[in-house]
Amino acid sequence: MSELNLNEDQQDCLQEIINVAMGQASDQLARFLDTFVYLKVPSIEQVSTLSLIETLSNNENSAAVVSQGFFGYEGIRGEALLVYKPKDSDRLADLLGYEPDELSVEEQIIDLSSILTTTFLNVFAKQIDNQMSYSAPRLLAGSQSAVSDHLAQQSFNWDLALKVKITYQVTDYSFNCDMILFIPELAINNIKAVIDRILEEF
Amino acid sequence: MSFSVLVCDDSNMARKQVLRSLPEQLSANAQLAKNGQEAVELLRSQQFDILFLDLTMPVLDGLGVLQTLKDENITPAIFVISADIQPEMQNKVLELGAKAFMRKPVQLDILNTNLKNHGFL
Repeated sequence: MSELNLNEDQQDCLQEIINVAMGQASDQLARFLDTFVYLKVPSIEQVSTLSLIETLSNNENSAAVVSQGFFGYEGIRGEALLVYKPKDSDRLADLLGYEPDELSVEEQIIDLSSILTTTFLNVFAKQIDNQMSYSAPRLLAGSQSAVSDHLAQQSFNWDLALKVKITYQVTDYSFNCDMILFIPELAINNIKAVIDRILEEF
Repeated sequence: MSFSVLVCDDSNMARKQVLRSLPEQLSANAQLAKNGQEAVELLRSQQFDILFLDLTMPVLDGLGVLQTLKDENITPAIFVISADIQPEMQNKVLELGAKAFMRKPVQLDILNTNLKNHGFL
């Protein structure tokens, strides 16, 4: 299994790129919900796909997961998962406050996830001189089998993933979701090369 | 005329970005703080003319710094440089006494315009 093995400067650089992306994604979320979002410093960790799927399975019959593929230049691509706890997906529906007939809760969660994912990744891509396109977002059942089946359908191997834990706290309600980016090995190497290029300028 | 400068951000890269964007006379003797608490302690013990302040930070965040400085009547010119660009946040920092809000990553021309507007260039 390949390792990210980021040194301190690379980690700091990646963290800052992610901070900027998260800030703009939150701004979009705040506008969409017409509220204020309180941001925390996001945590970034490398996780093995196996351990991640095990984690999800511990919350079986629980989380809602929205998955969306992304594709950039230079082999930078992957799959972004937004993982909601059940309690939080209920709150989210309250917060979104659509009229009952307008859209289902599932559709609302997909909408919201897509805003977060595409804004985050667009801003991330821009900072590393890249540009993303996306597949349609899909709501998966939060069970281990649904997520692992979905990942197995992808055309690349998911030995390791970058997990960016982002907590969005909305003024009156609070909900948490994790954004997890599955990035194949080649793409990770490309991202590291870009980070090194940015760091050389300093 | 020379001004004393403090740059507060938890990211090493972001601190360097600010330093690199500053004219030599401001960056030469600039001091650095890695979070809000470090910045407050420096500001209590020495006088600074300019504070560049991030918002989302561990230990003590940027809003906490702004509130503390206000409470203790410590009055450097504060320029907030943050990724948290929500309009409500921008209003909040201005209400708490910041001179200007700039979005990350900081742009050289915007930084210099703000410094000029407040008489530091």
